[in-house]
Amino acid sequence: MFYREAGEFKTSYRADQQTFPIRLDKIGFILSLFAAFVIIPITMSEYWAQAVFLPFLIFGIAAIGLNILTGYCGQVSLGSGGFMAVGAYSCYKLMTSFPDMNMLVCILLSGGVTAFVGLIFGLPSLRIKGFYLAVATLAAQFFLVWMFNKVGWFYNYSASGQITAPERTLFGYVITGAKAETVPVYFVCLGLLVFLALIARNLTRGAMGRKWMAIRDMDIAAEIIGVNPLRAKLTAFAISSFYVGVSGALLFALYLGAVEVGEAFSIQKSFIILFMIIIGGLGSIFGSLVGAAFMIGMPVILKNLLVSNLGWPGDIAAHLEFMIVGLMIIIFLILEPHGLAMLWSIIKEKLRIWPFAH
Amino acid sequence: MKLKSALVAVFTGICVTTPVLADLVFPALTYRTGAYAVSGIPQADGYSDYFTMLNERDGGIGGVPIKVVECETQYNTEKGVECYEKTKGLGALVYQPMSTGITYQLIPKASADGIPIHSMGYGRTSAANGKVFPYVFNYPANY
Repeated sequence: MFYREAGEFKTSYRADQQTFPIRLDKIGFILSLFAAFVIIPITMSEYWAQAVFLPFLIFGIAAIGLNILTGYCGQVSLGSGGFMAVGAYSCYKLMTSFPDMNMLVCILLSGGVTAFVGLIFGLPSLRIKGFYLAVATLAAQFFLVWMFNKVGWFYNYSASGQITAPERTLFGYVITGAKAETVPVYFVCLGLLVFLALIARNLTRGAMGRKWMAIRDMDIAAEIIGVNPLRAKLTAFAISSFYVGVSGALLFALYLGAVEVGEAFSIQKSFIILFMIIIGGLGSIFGSLVGAAFMIGMPVILKNLLVSNLGWPGDIAAHLEFMIVGLMIIIFLILEPHGLAMLWSIIKEKLRIWPFAH
Repeated sequence: MKLKSALVAVFTGICVTTPVLADLVFPALTYRTGAYAVSGIPQADGYSDYFTMLNERDGGIGGVPIKVVECETQYNTEKGVECYEKTKGLGALVYQPMSTGITYQLIPKASADGIPIHSMGYGRTSAANGKVFPYVFNYPANY
């Protein structure tokens, strides 16, 4: 009745091809940006920022990155944790080698380094597919974590083998190190997430995204109609790794501050990011964010509800969390393989014709 | 209406953690789940049992009852940070992070907040020198 295309007349191609063609969608998008940039920073407490919002923003970027590779281009990757480690360690090396470098430049360059590493590990995808590619990316995960433990140059030969972010400022605000303030860190993460999400959205709507999807749906058919599989797969690997690398650099420099590679970027991280896009929705930018919000927010809310409010023992809440995540993944794989994003678009389809059935 | 007020009660319960100032608060960052639960369960039980004993036998420390606030970390660094942020507002006296990874996260945070950390037999070796981190204590000199 109110959510529909009818009555909105587009008089130019530009207006016709915009990201949110329906007015209500555009208003919703602007309202959520307003909430994220104004309302949440004013109202959030230190605990909610540290426990939910910052991890959500950082893992949101990683989930978008993996979704580009797995959801749009169809190349399963279990190496996201390793690529996050590449982002974190290149950010550390850049921060310590060039102390005057602007932090934003440093983070984006770390993404660039990760894109290059991702390109190299993406090369086998031209020959191997499916499970075999998943195992090849698993090898990347283990190799990268091993390398960052083994080669002292990456952690500047520090005695503990850990990397620690030195203090850096952005526009006069301390954003890394012990004295980092939460609100500027929040704005850096949010700004990067919004910027990268918009780029990803437009990449996937354009020619490049269509090539990725053609490769995903049937690679031989795509090759016959003129999609170059080498370029399509390698661009997907590079862009996806860029996103994951930026997320790893943010996780290390702005959120954790000190990192031990085997612990912070273990195989667990790869799985969590994969779960985010499975639950959120493969092949959807919105779905990546919903999945990240679910995987980050659900344990914290469950813990607060059961342990703080009802007084349950903490271990039972933690076990419940495992069960809920496992159950959700099975339910989504069986009932709705396109995840929460698909449920959302079904709701929107129904809204368009509401209150009529057809 | 009833449901709404119940929801409001739950929501305020989630958002507001009221400080308990009357008791001595000892946060226990436990790992009763996860890969290291096998050593985490007896450690967590022992830690809380000891304070229960002090409460029952001596009436707390110096006559002030002790409150142990358990928070489950699963030996996971991010969950440890979340636990620290959650419990520090309760008037936490000392933290035993029980994991080197969590200790590394907590050293700068706890030093800024002025809360001592006992990292006994783990964490940073340099903490053995009190001048390096005034708020971090580890008794065996090296790891």
